Amino acid sequence: MSSLTDQGDPAAGAALHAAFPEVTSAPVVWRGDVTLQVQPAHEAAVARHARDSLGYELFIDRFGADRGEDAEPRFDVITILYNLQARRRLHLCTTLPGLDPQCPTLVGVFRGADWFEREAFDMYGVRFTGHPDLRRILMPEIFPDFPLRKEYPVEGLGAFAAPRRAIGGNVDGTDGQVAIIGRAPGGPAP
Amino acid sequence: MSDARTLDVEVGDDRHSESMLINMGPQHPSTHGVLRLVLELDGEVVVKAEPVVGYLHRGKEKIGESLSWHQFIPYTDRLDYLAPLANNVAYAVACEKLMGIAAPPRAEAIRVICCELARISAHLLGLGAYAMDLGAMTIFLWTFREREQIYSLIERICGARFTTSYTRIGGLERDLPSDFAALLDAFVREFPGRVDEYESLLTRNKIWLRRTQGIGVISRERALQFGLTGPNLRGSGVEHDLRKAHPYCGYEQYEFDVPVGTTGDCYDRYMVRILEMRESARILRQALDTLPSGPVINRESDAVLKSVLPQKEKVLTNMEALIHQFMVATDSVNAPLGEVYFSAENPKGELGFFLRSDGGLKADRLRIRGPSFANLQVLGEILPGHMVADVMAILGSIDFVMGECDR
Repeated sequence: MSSLTDQGDPAAGAALHAAFPEVTSAPVVWRGDVTLQVQPAHEAAVARHARDSLGYELFIDRFGADRGEDAEPRFDVITILYNLQARRRLHLCTTLPGLDPQCPTLVGVFRGADWFEREAFDMYGVRFTGHPDLRRILMPEIFPDFPLRKEYPVEGLGAFAAPRRAIGGNVDGTDGQVAIIGRAPGGPAP
Repeated sequence: MSDARTLDVEVGDDRHSESMLINMGPQHPSTHGVLRLVLELDGEVVVKAEPVVGYLHRGKEKIGESLSWHQFIPYTDRLDYLAPLANNVAYAVACEKLMGIAAPPRAEAIRVICCELARISAHLLGLGAYAMDLGAMTIFLWTFREREQIYSLIERICGARFTTSYTRIGGLERDLPSDFAALLDAFVREFPGRVDEYESLLTRNKIWLRRTQGIGVISRERALQFGLTGPNLRGSGVEHDLRKAHPYCGYEQYEFDVPVGTTGDCYDRYMVRILEMRESARILRQALDTLPSGPVINRESDAVLKSVLPQKEKVLTNMEALIHQFMVATDSVNAPLGEVYFSAENPKGELGFFLRSDGGLKADRLRIRGPSFANLQVLGEILPGHMVADVMAILGSIDFVMGECDR
């Protein structure tokens, strides 16, 4: 169990915060993971510093997250970097507004961020400014919505909705009940 | 080396013809699944390559936000569907990290056995398909002979051959059957000899060397930039294995080596996988010899009890246990407020789960970091300059699976 809780790197988090005191928060440590809040405009500079000066040269992941329609700032973009020598991991997190979320790209620092940013755009509508080829990657190009946003229903919308299936009662599904994938915990039993 | 090969086939400017656009996949046999490559060709030489993914997207991350923590376990089977047991373990350990639960020692040892069986099985398929795409049909049949044995073992473990769903948060669904040790012992005894057989057909085979050496070279820097993990990263000479770097499930107790390549070409990736299978067999032997006794699921404290499923036999005979099972599976599990990231060394690379909990019954965000997604991205960089026939070699050597790429 100890191994699970010592994967983060508080020292590197503190060093990054010391190098960029204005634009980063103090590192937060929970269950051994170290997360640093970074202002979007300075994320590339912070990541470059982590790569070149602190040894975080392996790009692991970059993805979006939604805190809900009412939250402001609403979106997070989380980046995970890895230090092969120290064998430690570092999380960078930037927060973005709910309306027109924009964030400078990391492609200039880590080439591999390309597809990951396309996915975050595809799922949440986060625009990565400066990205060389920002278009959908997993969803079809004609898909109208951003499916991982909280307001998007799990069974889909419009032409992309899951086929309706009657539960008991009417065969044509006119009772309005939709068989969704599994039962939402806490929700009504099907 | 790859440059030298490229120069052989490059035509002079005066003979340049119009380039041709070819769609390889999503139904091409060598793309194993539904990868589509848009290739721009000049004669037989690839000028530009664009991998197109997403054909197997099933919205797993979205589904994960609508299910309770336990209900998501079967969905992990279908990530890297060549190693479902390893996915089950990675997800369970991620949930345990979030909830602060530790699995008992016997459960951890059995999880190691599961992960290594999954690794061998996945590498066998990768190797078989890789060789078959390059014309060596025999290997494919031989590796499927051993894969059949492994599937029989997996069937003994959890009753299913393919969609295992074997782990539970805090442990395992059931203990190993009494005859399992003997069956696994026989397999581990026999397996190194089988790897010798594969090697006798390939490792020093002139055609195999010609098709793989110097082809699809991925430099160390490029591998790091693109977030390559697993055998593909180690093939490029980076000694990084999460089982060594952050031992989970007690991997620190087992002696094994981390094979690495030197040039990062298709041959190095092949050798890394061959050697990894031998190391996995070593781990299996040690895990089998030192398998501790005791429970396979943590039922020690009340806090844990609320999130751990009761014993299946009791569920079938005892009303309270049945209610408990129902509550845990649908409505309960006390995940604290917070977010964790846990990643495991899966056959294809680093499978990571980022779990964000708002203290509720289910994940607020369930991010799956599939290694094949990152591994495939590098294709656009390394394919140009190679001949079309080499594309099959490179695809085989990358050993991707679309289930975890598209999620």
